[in-house]
Amino acid sequence: MEYISLLMFLAVCLVLLLGYPVAYSLAGTALIFAGVGAFFGVFDTSYLQAVPSRLFGIVSNQTLIAVPLFVFMGVMLEKSRVAEDLLLAMEQVLGRLKSGLAVSVVLVGMLLAASTGIVGATVVTMGLLSLPTMLKKGYSPSFACGAICATGTLGQIIPPSIALVLLGDVLSSAFVQAQLNMGIFSPRSVSVGDLFVGALVPGFLLVGMYLLYVLVFASRHITPSLEQSDQAPISVSALFAALFPPLLLIFMVLGSILAGFATPTEAAGVGATGALVLAIINKQLNLQKLKDVMMSTAKVTSMVFLILIGASIFSLVFRGFGGEELIQELFTRLPGGVFTAVLLVMVVIFLLGFILDFIEITFVVVPLVAPVLLAMGVDPIWLGIMIAVNLQTSFLTPPFGFALFYLRGVAPPEVKTSHIYRGVIPFIVIQLILLACLAIWPNLVTWLPYLL
Amino acid sequence: MQESVMYLHGMVFLLGAAHTLRVNGHVRVDIFYRSFSPKKQAKVDLFGSLLLLMPVNIFIFMVSFDYVMRAWRVMETSQEAGGIPGVYLLKSLILLFSFTMLLQGIAEVIRNVVKLSLDKPLSKAENQ
Repeated sequence: MEYISLLMFLAVCLVLLLGYPVAYSLAGTALIFAGVGAFFGVFDTSYLQAVPSRLFGIVSNQTLIAVPLFVFMGVMLEKSRVAEDLLLAMEQVLGRLKSGLAVSVVLVGMLLAASTGIVGATVVTMGLLSLPTMLKKGYSPSFACGAICATGTLGQIIPPSIALVLLGDVLSSAFVQAQLNMGIFSPRSVSVGDLFVGALVPGFLLVGMYLLYVLVFASRHITPSLEQSDQAPISVSALFAALFPPLLLIFMVLGSILAGFATPTEAAGVGATGALVLAIINKQLNLQKLKDVMMSTAKVTSMVFLILIGASIFSLVFRGFGGEELIQELFTRLPGGVFTAVLLVMVVIFLLGFILDFIEITFVVVPLVAPVLLAMGVDPIWLGIMIAVNLQTSFLTPPFGFALFYLRGVAPPEVKTSHIYRGVIPFIVIQLILLACLAIWPNLVTWLPYLL
Repeated sequence: MQESVMYLHGMVFLLGAAHTLRVNGHVRVDIFYRSFSPKKQAKVDLFGSLLLLMPVNIFIFMVSFDYVMRAWRVMETSQEAGGIPGVYLLKSLILLFSFTMLLQGIAEVIRNVVKLSLDKPLSKAENQ
């Protein structure tokens, strides 16, 4: 009977591929299975009685309130042209170097990741502003596209990131559940703040690896152009004016979390307010723009939370069919213990990343596997960061990689889709190398959080 | 004050979800969907709305009805000192959510039936 849960998982994958919105594909298919199962007496409908309190749990979850606030902050920064100013200033500083443009793309990507953390906005901005310049300067299209897509996804891993908020929430309940199952009734907890701290070292490591790659290989991908650099050197005050606002915002948001003044939710409120103030100072705010920002915040938030609602109905039914026991059994039967279990999960998440994106994987897959892994003694912070780095590749893996779509949307027609696909391969490899490094040296993740 | 944030937060996505559906803002796995003809896309949306969306929202409404009514009967208040004494209102949002989603689902069904009953092939623009 547990095998019905696997059957349901496969059925959901098939329904998803038809293209109906994810949230209802998940919940609807699960309900059909539950209905048929109840009819034949193999499904206990009392599992579904938990749905209303689950829904209310989503509404009253303090951690998740950070999501709309961070979305608001990111959209506001995007609309108030902070990113554009930053990119133009950096290009002028670094544009004289041969690989300067690519380096500036990586650095700006890092700053945007730490301030907005919205992958789509970062990729679109850089695709519109940097890609034409890079092509003009003789960069090969695939190299330029790869650099832009990959750095655009840094927002996933560099805190504050919405992905880490969602993961942190899922993991903290999984961690408590795992300890309760083991008979520990005063469980330790893991918070979104812990994940943020744990992501710092791996995040900067990834930026470093990107920079190294760009510096070493750029010369191979640039055909020198005859065009002389006609840019006037940028004044110090202009550079300062472009750099200061996002740096201040990063300092306020991250600083308040790291120093322990604020929870991530409170810091997100600070960030949202800060972005609003910056927009007013930059004279970019009017009523229409505020309305636009609030509308798109509401849409993105609804989209995320509807998937959460759909996924929680799915996982209740999955549990009702005994799917959890099945996974647990599978993992304990694996030869090689914890190592193979983690490896298996990582491979599955990587492969699912080709067709799903991080939200669905976080809400559907992680709650199923995390309690089992954590019960086997895996460190929750380390697991969270491993999953986050792994999920970052889901943005870059065709055919369903968000970063690729966004860039395709704004790239000039002479850039072929195959250029984009080919360009991201080295960066996916870099991410996998980072993943391997974190697996070999878990201290890279856990050192800082346990120090603080 | 603390809890007002939670109320606003709940309202954003519970009431915003139906609008997001209307403007096609919910994520799809569109590897194949993207390359479908407009008629085929309309078919997916029609059957998805009928078989997936509407049952789920009817189910959420029915299963939550007692839960919300229980909160109303005792005029459930916040467990926190100084919290907003309106938890029953907050819970009612769940009913409102499934109801607005159901309405928008019906609208989607009608829209897609109309699309499919037109004889001429649809252009991508008309399909939005």
